[in-house]
Amino acid sequence: MRRLPVYLLLDTSGSMSGEPIEAVKNGVQIMISSLRQNPQAIETAFLSVITFDSTAQQIIPLTDLASFQMVDIRATGVTSLGEALKLVANKIDSEVQKTTTEQKGDWKPLVFIMTDGIPTDDWQSGLNEFRKMKVAFTVACAAGNGADTNILKQITDNVVSLDTTDSASIGKFFQWVTASIGVSSTKVEDSGKEVTGLNELPPPPSELNIVV
Amino acid sequence: MEDTRKYIEAFFFQHKIEVPPSKLSLFYDFIANEENINSVKIIQENQKMIMANWTLKTRIDDIISQSVSLPNGTVNKKYESKIDFIKLGWNDIIYSEIIDLEESGLEFNNEEEIIFGNPLISGDLNIKLLFRIDGESEDSILNEKTITIIINPDPKSLWKEIESDKNDPYWKEDNVAVSSNFLDKNIVIASKRGRSHANVGSFRDDDFAFKNIENTGWSVIAVSDGAGGYPVTRQGSKLVCEFVISYFKNNFTNESLIDFDETLLNHHNKSDEDSSKKISHFVYDNLSKAAWSVHKQLEEFATKSERPLKDFHSTLIFALVKKYDFGYAILTFGIGDCPIGLLNKDLTEIKLMNWLDVGEFGGGTRFITMPEIFQSDKFSTRFGFKLVDDFSYLMLMTDGIYDPKFVVEANLEKIEKWNEFLEDLQGKNEDNCKVDFNKENAEIAHQLSTWMDFWNPGNHDDRTLAIIY
Repeated sequence: MRRLPVYLLLDTSGSMSGEPIEAVKNGVQIMISSLRQNPQAIETAFLSVITFDSTAQQIIPLTDLASFQMVDIRATGVTSLGEALKLVANKIDSEVQKTTTEQKGDWKPLVFIMTDGIPTDDWQSGLNEFRKMKVAFTVACAAGNGADTNILKQITDNVVSLDTTDSASIGKFFQWVTASIGVSSTKVEDSGKEVTGLNELPPPPSELNIVV
Repeated sequence: MEDTRKYIEAFFFQHKIEVPPSKLSLFYDFIANEENINSVKIIQENQKMIMANWTLKTRIDDIISQSVSLPNGTVNKKYESKIDFIKLGWNDIIYSEIIDLEESGLEFNNEEEIIFGNPLISGDLNIKLLFRIDGESEDSILNEKTITIIINPDPKSLWKEIESDKNDPYWKEDNVAVSSNFLDKNIVIASKRGRSHANVGSFRDDDFAFKNIENTGWSVIAVSDGAGGYPVTRQGSKLVCEFVISYFKNNFTNESLIDFDETLLNHHNKSDEDSSKKISHFVYDNLSKAAWSVHKQLEEFATKSERPLKDFHSTLIFALVKKYDFGYAILTFGIGDCPIGLLNKDLTEIKLMNWLDVGEFGGGTRFITMPEIFQSDKFSTRFGFKLVDDFSYLMLMTDGIYDPKFVVEANLEKIEKWNEFLEDLQGKNEDNCKVDFNKENAEIAHQLSTWMDFWNPGNHDDRTLAIIY
């Protein structure tokens, strides 16, 4: 079976502590239980969570939705976005199956990045690694006014922003991610084609501004 | 007495009372006093009890807040997991039970510490573990801990079966199955709307058609898969199959065929370069005209319907078969990702009659609606020919069958995979669905249709399978 890999890159730096980090945890939980109700997503979508603060780590390897269990996350430290990009590149390379004559490979992965700050490490070298990977699309979300959309724009064309990092806004972002994964999993199964950009995804809610 | 002295000295010290040398003798009498000795004893015992209680309470609280992660379950799927007390460090739990499981479909085996069963309800299942730890009295109220198990819904229950709109101008039956004769053999075909379409009430995009053309002795079968993501491909697939049939009925006539019958006979008696060349030429000439005619007719239809041709994007495979005294001639054409397989009489050889248009990342298939395919260098390789004494099965299928059953193109060339596929058809499957290829079997269309409901995660496309046997 061809899996639809989804990578979530979540900022867990100190500035996320309190309401924002709780909202992120909650957002992921609700996302999972809602995707479990989608017949295409529950079979096709595989999810991995990478967090980044002073260092980046893959807290959940690529896992099918049915066995997925969220782990606790805490906000502390600085913002190693570059390391996270390098790590996700590495994981895409090792976890996403390539098509060979003997097996059908996975669909190209979807990558969602959420950050509330400015990278504190050499993000460009991480980006270079990330660019080598084939992905269906990457969406970056600048949460609150501490994030720099100009940097995110260099990572992907698909940048959205949230005015605040309260639980309502973050919740809306995850709702939209949920809908986007749902649409992608239906599309690959239905037409054998991948979603390639923001315009094919469900329209973002009003809390989410598209950065042009 | 020493104990009492130490305790009272410390107690006095805490209260900044000093015993002056002049009062020492009084102090000794004081600590020797029975009542005071007893008071100290009681105080010390109470303190000990308070400490022990505190230790007990914190331990209970630790157990209650300790995270226990059990694997997720799925409705209607056998579940078993161990709540390993030793691993969790719960050797001080002297009594435990799990309550309120009745409606969940699960049971708890206290001895083995195993929770097992077939979950009935999806969602977060909160299990109540009642326990008592070492040090608590036997009549104490049991402590309660909640453990959550995530129960996934049964994937099969999530698919909706929504009827397609019968008022749509291009409506077609969701499921069809037919059987008939095909030359001196039989044919069975089933075509089913995929779950992904049923889930949203959309239409079956696959189609097929076949005909025994009596006056020429040729029989023809066509199968097509309308491309997903384009608006009216259900009509495209229907039309291309019909156009194939009508083309051969009207244009593949006796006059043009007499020579070919002779060529085949010569080829059968002595196949040489010349006979092979003549055959190739004939196949290319006639089948390419058919394909082109299908393309043109569909183009006309699209123009009339004021739609771009791509709205009708469809793959197309077809086979022309004729029985001679010396065997069967099989001529094929294919565009797209649907295979045609010819199995020899004793099931030791598979001849894949066409190659598949398979893109690097899926979706790379080609359609009969694309004019560029007719100009491509590869166009001449889209034709197949085989002259055989006899065969056991000739099969045409859409990707809805090929994807779950063969997975990759390479497997289509492996006879063992085709034998597995045949065994599967004949009942070696999860649902024990059996298609009986006995020629007398009048139920075969229904059997194939039932077999075609097989479950395969991630593969819920339309399914069409035509078998000549």
